[in-house]
Amino acid sequence: MNSSNTKTVPSYCYNCVAGPDPMKVEVVDGVATQVMPNFDACDSHPGKGRPCVKAYGLVQKTYNPHRVLQPMKRTNPNKGMDEDPGFVPISWDEALTLLTDKLNSIRAKGLIDEQGTPRTAATFGHGGTPMYYMGTFPAFLASWGPIDFSFGSGQGVKCVHSEHLYGEFWHRAFTVAADTPYTRYVLSLGTNVDATGGPCAIARHADARVRGYKRVQVEPHQSVTGATAAEWVPIRPKTDAAFMFALIHSMLHDHPRNELDIDFLRDQTASPYLVGPDGLYLRDPDSAKPLIWDSEQQQAVPFDRVNVIPALEGTFKVGHAISVDADDERHQLNDIEATTGFNKLLDHVAQYSPDWAARICDIPADTIRRIASEYLDNACIGETIEIDGATLPFRPVAVTLGKSVNNGWGAYECCWARTVMATLVGALEVPGGTLGTTVRLNRPHEDRLRSVKPGIDGFMEQKLNPTDKENWVAKPTGRNAHTTLVPIVGSSAWSQALGPTQLAWMFQKDRPEGFNLPEPTKPDIWFIFRSNPAISFWDTRSLNKSIADFPYTVSFAYTLDETNWMADLLLPEATDLESTQLIPIGGTKFVEQFWKHKGAILRQKVVEPQGEAKDFTWISTELAKRMDLLDKYNTAINRGAGGVAPLRGEGYDFSLDINKAHQPDEIWDAVCKATSTELSNNEETKDLDWYKENGLYLKPIPQKSWYLYPTMKELGIRFEMPYQERLLRIGKELGNRLHEKDIAWWDEQLSEYSALPEWHDIPGRWETALKNEGADPDDYPFWLLATKSMQYHTGANVSIQLMREVSQNVRGHTGVIMNSNSAAKLGIANGDRVEIRSNIGVTIGRAELIQGVRPDTLVIVGQFDHWATPYAKDLEMPSLNTIAPMSLELTDATGSGADIVRVAISKVKGETS
Amino acid sequence: MTRYAMTVDLRRCVGCQTCTAACKQKNGTAPGVQWRKVLDIETGEFPDVRRTFMPVACMHCDEPPCEEVCPTTATQKRDDGLVSIDYDMCIGCSNCVMACPYEARSIAHDVKFAYGDKPMANEAKMFDPARIEVASKCTFCIERIDQAHEQGLTPGVHPEVTPACVNSCASGAMLFGDIEDPNSNVSKLLKETQSFRQHEELGTGPGVYYIWDKNDEEL
Repeated sequence: MNSSNTKTVPSYCYNCVAGPDPMKVEVVDGVATQVMPNFDACDSHPGKGRPCVKAYGLVQKTYNPHRVLQPMKRTNPNKGMDEDPGFVPISWDEALTLLTDKLNSIRAKGLIDEQGTPRTAATFGHGGTPMYYMGTFPAFLASWGPIDFSFGSGQGVKCVHSEHLYGEFWHRAFTVAADTPYTRYVLSLGTNVDATGGPCAIARHADARVRGYKRVQVEPHQSVTGATAAEWVPIRPKTDAAFMFALIHSMLHDHPRNELDIDFLRDQTASPYLVGPDGLYLRDPDSAKPLIWDSEQQQAVPFDRVNVIPALEGTFKVGHAISVDADDERHQLNDIEATTGFNKLLDHVAQYSPDWAARICDIPADTIRRIASEYLDNACIGETIEIDGATLPFRPVAVTLGKSVNNGWGAYECCWARTVMATLVGALEVPGGTLGTTVRLNRPHEDRLRSVKPGIDGFMEQKLNPTDKENWVAKPTGRNAHTTLVPIVGSSAWSQALGPTQLAWMFQKDRPEGFNLPEPTKPDIWFIFRSNPAISFWDTRSLNKSIADFPYTVSFAYTLDETNWMADLLLPEATDLESTQLIPIGGTKFVEQFWKHKGAILRQKVVEPQGEAKDFTWISTELAKRMDLLDKYNTAINRGAGGVAPLRGEGYDFSLDINKAHQPDEIWDAVCKATSTELSNNEETKDLDWYKENGLYLKPIPQKSWYLYPTMKELGIRFEMPYQERLLRIGKELGNRLHEKDIAWWDEQLSEYSALPEWHDIPGRWETALKNEGADPDDYPFWLLATKSMQYHTGANVSIQLMREVSQNVRGHTGVIMNSNSAAKLGIANGDRVEIRSNIGVTIGRAELIQGVRPDTLVIVGQFDHWATPYAKDLEMPSLNTIAPMSLELTDATGSGADIVRVAISKVKGETS
Repeated sequence: MTRYAMTVDLRRCVGCQTCTAACKQKNGTAPGVQWRKVLDIETGEFPDVRRTFMPVACMHCDEPPCEEVCPTTATQKRDDGLVSIDYDMCIGCSNCVMACPYEARSIAHDVKFAYGDKPMANEAKMFDPARIEVASKCTFCIERIDQAHEQGLTPGVHPEVTPACVNSCASGAMLFGDIEDPNSNVSKLLKETQSFRQHEELGTGPGVYYIWDKNDEEL
């Protein structure tokens, strides 16, 4: 469109964790008309300046006639699906008065309730991305005090949860990716990176395909990523651990040792650490340091003795050593036989042959052996590559895991096996290999390399929740009990939201026998933003009832939806194209954002807000002013809570007067100046106007920062692989603490704390759970999986017509995916209206029949089954979430559950094909 | 002479429909009208199944069947290879819709907006009444191409004069340019790779080239 009043405005899209991605918006006569790439960032953004399809929905998102455009208050005191909330419009002044009155009453009672949990709770959506749309609200929350983030909106069941926890534990990898630009071979178990990896992942993998890398996609249905892979291996659901155990077996038992990276195993991992007959590391009696076997002097010595060549394999006689068990229980060990951690692995996986796995996984043993061979063939053992002038190992093989492989039961086994596979060929954190992206449980978030510090036993320092008698947190500080039950989630700012969030919901309704923890309370006030847990979690009908029981809910609302149907106050925030915020960009970040730059990018008011929608920063400042918290609020902004840099640093000071209420532009101008000054080491200062014109400010960073290996080597730290003595000990300690309080309901989860994970009939757990609920597993013969959609994934955009329209071109977006042959046996034809039934409920949609799915598996794309959200409620799309039970029995030790449920399917009665 | 053409690298495409959305937005097409889209195609039987993504739109043929059947000469092939429609001349007879072997054309008979009868602000701004009751299809963003000369820019090189779909493609699957120019992006890519055009046997001379993997030949 050409017009003299046409301009293009730079901004960003961060609707999912794969972002942020730069974009531009065309504005004609003050109206946003189209989204387009920002080619100014073409050479720096790994996605070449392009946003994904979701960004193109932002124009409709702005002008959607179903938006909430004025503050609203509830008039119906009763809450429930069948209760019309009776929202009536009110002024901002009245809305903020209602809110501040409520907050003041809470403050008067005390910020912590009688059970020791915060009276204020908040739930924000996917992967922290709402932060990048809420302006300075984090500064307001910081000024307020304790907030409970226990109530998840899908965390733990919709994310790659176990990977977050174990990934950071082993290699500071909140999420894990292939080093796609360099890799030759990727084994992808359900990683749907071409649907959820954003433009960065899509562009990197497209380049790699053209270059000729091979990706083998192992998953029950052929996803978008399966379609673009060189090979699809349709594995039986939840048997991935068996498949990977067999790959490790084959690598260790079918191939000569020289196909492994022996030097890496010996020098960079715990493989040579000696393990005694009690399953614990043998330790030096004086220093308690783990022992290794000096292959030249033929004696056990502490692991850090210099000029020693440790034995990687073998059995050795050790005269005197100690072991340290849970609760620092020390055992004196004399004249014992010890073996190495590597040997323990070797013996452990001997039982897991490809022939054994073939029966479990429904994958031919020869295929498993071939994949193991291909992986080894491509590992390039001994080769090096120059990166930024440094010579690094070149190991171009990677293993990646997708949702439901790396959460819920079996996830520990898969995360461990993936990391072991990388370790065996030295492909962990080196060019071409398996890499972590960023850290969230550890600090600093912006630089995972700096989060690595030497810790005990030659490994990285870990900030775990204590399990010793003196320091264990017996009384949970939040409603999901993350500090009490999950040691490796830690207690940093992100930990609570990454705790067992389904427990918070579950325990609102039912608590296990012998609960013996403080009875969970309801939050006095619950903030909700960019999140719809009544749709995006599990057992949503039951969850709705919990939400309805919350006494006071405040929703920063875009449209009416299933969660804010139960709200007391709706506050319309100016959305993506209507408000201002500066955020970090670049560096390394999930999913495959590996940049050679880092800096800051501005989201700006592309167009004036619709109706009475207000910039979130304005709302936050108003709240702080009315709550008499301006000093704390502004202090938090000055510390950097509102942006990407503290407003005062070495050589610069743009800090705000802490006693004044500042307008959004004034705040962001200070943040822009501080950020650019800090990034440029005081060489230049760019203000808000500069960012509005130019969009983003970047500085180069070395590619070497993508890889953790050089840092580990420099600090003399070993990867804590393959033997998990620490986790074993922590699990025992946690068990001791829980049992001291007569808590036995977490015992099954404690079984996950093993030094070497064992196969334990993971899919069978779902059948057992059905039996324990009084159901017959034979009545639910199918596995139902959920998979993500690029058009919708965390976009909060189900009411956007454009997304609906274009998604209809991608299979799975009209209903439930089913194997054609299985459907024929049940008399189901393509397009038939079908009901999918679990033991707790039913969801209805249209059958979409294909060949690219296992006969025993059904797949639902996205998260639907809306009943309140305008437009979406008329789509009649099924949802796994409606019929997936929340079950303690199906919760793993990290508190996560796999996004999978046993179901039956049939044509809706009375309907013909 | 100039002959604008498009290349679509099937090795890259992930079927994300970003091009579909970008086209709809840039051209302000009504709900349900897609001048381009990506097909999601399955072949084979479980477990030997292949799923392929194939972007489709007007092929801007050398010998356009749509032009041949147009009774009013509304559809014309230009010298630069673009097949254009003059909406003022089109009578909406549908001959071209039926003649196109690529199902690239459609006719919007009713005024439609995303949410009912009332246009949103962006729809009101982009609405073009001339496109009701007439044939429409991908134009290769013809007005951008037409600005190239006066702006001294090159289609396929400069985003301002390149089709929106090509600009938007997250996987970089699409390129645009002059295949008569041996140094254009498309010419160089076509020289380096193997490609096919849809229904070449019909003799239409499509202007969209699909690049594919030599290994796929065996499948």
